[in-house]
Amino acid sequence: MKIGPGFLLVALVLTSTAAHAQQNQPSIEQLLEEPFLDDYYSNVVYGYEIITDTQTNASRYVGNSLQCSNCHLQAGTLEDALPLNVAGMYPKWRAKNGKRNGIGLRIRECFLYSMDGIMPPEDAPEVLAVSAYVTYLSQGQVMGAEPVGRGVPTLPDTGYDPNPANGRAVYLAQCSSCHGERGEGTAGMPPVWGLNAYNKGAGMNDIQQAAGFIWANMPLGNGKSLTHQQALDVSAYLNLQVRPADPRDSKFLKLLEHLLN
Amino acid sequence: MIRQLLAEATPSFSWSARPGNWRIEVFAGLVGAILVIPQGITFAYLAGLPPEYGLYCAIFVTLICSLLGSSSMMSGPNTAVAILIGAAVLPLAGRGSPVYIDFVFLLCMMVGLIQLVFWLARGARIFQYLSPAAISGISAGAGFLIIMASLDSMLDLSTFNTTFFYEKLYVIASDARDLVNPFSLAIGLTTIAGGYLGRRYSPRYFIIIAVSAGYLCGLLVAFIWPQPHTELEYLGRMPLQWLPLTIPNINMDYLMISINLIPYAITIAFIGLAQSLVIVRELKMETDQNINLDKEVYAQGMANFLAPFFSSFAGAGSFNRTRANQSLGATTPLSGIAAAGFVLILITFLGPVLTYMPMAAMSGTLFIVGADMIKWRDIKHYAQVRSELAIYLATFISIMFFGLAVGVVVAVFLSVSVFMLRISQLELKVEPGDAGLVLKVKGALFYASVAHLTERFHSHAGENLTVDLQYTTHIDQSAVDFFIRESRHMTAHGHKLTLLINDRQRKFLEKLGASTELELVSL
Ligand code: HEC
Ligand code: HEC
Repeated sequence: MKIGPGFLLVALVLTSTAAHAQQNQPSIEQLLEEPFLDDYYSNVVYGYEIITDTQTNASRYVGNSLQCSNCHLQAGTLEDALPLNVAGMYPKWRAKNGKRNGIGLRIRECFLYSMDGIMPPEDAPEVLAVSAYVTYLSQGQVMGAEPVGRGVPTLPDTGYDPNPANGRAVYLAQCSSCHGERGEGTAGMPPVWGLNAYNKGAGMNDIQQAAGFIWANMPLGNGKSLTHQQALDVSAYLNLQVRPADPRDSKFLKLLEHLLN
Repeated sequence: MIRQLLAEATPSFSWSARPGNWRIEVFAGLVGAILVIPQGITFAYLAGLPPEYGLYCAIFVTLICSLLGSSSMMSGPNTAVAILIGAAVLPLAGRGSPVYIDFVFLLCMMVGLIQLVFWLARGARIFQYLSPAAISGISAGAGFLIIMASLDSMLDLSTFNTTFFYEKLYVIASDARDLVNPFSLAIGLTTIAGGYLGRRYSPRYFIIIAVSAGYLCGLLVAFIWPQPHTELEYLGRMPLQWLPLTIPNINMDYLMISINLIPYAITIAFIGLAQSLVIVRELKMETDQNINLDKEVYAQGMANFLAPFFSSFAGAGSFNRTRANQSLGATTPLSGIAAAGFVLILITFLGPVLTYMPMAAMSGTLFIVGADMIKWRDIKHYAQVRSELAIYLATFISIMFFGLAVGVVVAVFLSVSVFMLRISQLELKVEPGDAGLVLKVKGALFYASVAHLTERFHSHAGENLTVDLQYTTHIDQSAVDFFIRESRHMTAHGHKLTLLINDRQRKFLEKLGASTELELVSL
């Protein structure tokens, strides 16, 4: 096929308008006010609603009382608080199963571990909607480049092992007012342990990750006020508490939990 | 007329005065409720909706239909309707997303409205022209689609689509090791085996046996392997409510887009009513229920129109549940009302248990339901008459290749054509009479059948003819025109055309202006 200059011009105009549209994509507030949305934007809005109110919008696969936005703060838009503008980081090659794992798998894993629920199927509407929302948040990011403030900050080595006993003291002093003395949460505040919290397979149950999250964001509204050591200690303390089992190792326990819960 | 419509539009409860055994009705309702739960869930899957919508459909569509109707027919989630809903809305939005659900609701309201128009137009009679072979063909075709859908979820192929079914079978066969999820397959096969074994012992409850077998197998698998390893799909928690009231989202944009849905709405309305009315007609023949077909059309239309307000999708009469109902001795709508209530009660208790129901077990039951819809008996039954067999096979095959909507159109077209061919056939007998030949005409004489007559006339040109019309059921204007033309032609050649008619026909022919030109002889 011969491509004339006219064609090129059209193509140029098309691509430039497409790029234009991407930069000026409507905000969530604008989208929420629209009476009618196309398939993509309606899924973006649905994804946003799942993140902020998981209990009502994705209750099918949820097993505890958390919301996605309890960890992915401000609906996944806050740096250093597990932001969700990460579409450019997927799909990831994983040698283990010889598959390329997309954002879908990551979302499904958070349902299974962080939300202590059931892993939704790949094409569940909930998963597709959150993927759309992740894509929406990632507009303007460079493919494959790590977004600024991805995940949680990695704390430097303090030279001391995390000490749960000190962590308990920190917890009672700084955290229990919101998260309750027995970690059960209070009105409007999420639990941090117990059967309604994330399970032992969750990323938040990893001492380093939790410490990074807590140091950067907790106590809520007063982040980065703890020392690195305090964050590590309290994180180790949380790690020792009772919480739902990891679905990968104690299947029998898990089954009992499921049937009782 | 208005009074009659009003009488049909209000619940009559006339059955409550009839002596009946309410205990039998309530028990039949319980059985119906147990049967409908797996159906509701799987049909919701076929329609692309979350499972609770199927359960709501089993409650509210059944309830409204029984309240407004006059028969013991069990309405509710229906296979063909569910498949068509899925096929209609999938191009417009992602399966199960909120917009998808909005469109399903809109579609169901359209279906209800069209059925209500049918009711106003007294359309119930139209369905008598749909040949039973066509309905069996549609049902068998739907069965085939259900089997394919059940394979999808049993083998865990949900993300994988092909244009034609044989491509899919080929890909599955050639790449089974990579594609098929063995856990899912094992649970599915256990369910099917449970169903067929269970049928030996309890033909009525075998679906329950099948589901239980699948569920237990699923528990066993979950006990040995974790979900990240098995990748099994579970039903999940259903956010069930006792009164799931919703207000369907309707605005200009939705309406503009849903213009695309109109052909589907018509097909669904038609196929839904066709099935319901076949059931009702059978009930009417086999029992002494006081059934009003028009009232049933109204009940079904109203139920479908109101379904979205109760978070349900459209439904239609269910063959298998009505049959179970009948075999338990239920004769009034009370059984349907009781069934709706029992579903509500059962799912509140079963909800937590159902959470860990593997979808593979559900699709196993779907497979059984589908296989039951393709009946060898039907094929043998219709094989007696060539045209019926042709309708059955053509419908079935076009559904296999082109989907249910096309199949329905084919079925209707063929039924109508066969019907037309049938009635346009004339039985003609020529006998020598006193003044020339006597031609006896049996059948309906109208534009389509006049051609036969023309041939006869021409083969006997040059003789006096007497046409005996007393066994003719119908005469239309074009037949009269034909006689007038022939008569002029024959007189011009010195022959005579005489019509032998009865009194009723005389009046009619005179009205059509035949008396001046034709020689009419009354018998
Ligand atoms: C208990 C806290 C918690 C909750 C609740 C939670 N997540 Fe996460 N999520 C995490 C952590 C921690 C990570 C990083 C984990 C890792 O890398 O292993 C993460 C990672 C992710 C990622 C990948 C982010 C990246 O940087 O690659 C996605 C997408 C995600 N979660 C989605 C969700 C969704 C959707 C929900 C709600 C259904 C949810 N999460 C709920 C803690 C949580
Ligand atoms: C002012 C009240 C407040 C205080 C004090 C506070 N948190 Fe939180 N915390 C929250 C809220 C609220 C969230 C959920 C964030 C959201 O939804 O936006 C949260 C979320 C969390 C989470 C992730 C969600 C979950 O439930 O697992 C962890 C872990 C956590 N906090 C730990 C801590 C620790 C450790 C401390 C003490 C250092 C602490 N918080 C102090 C209010 C508080």
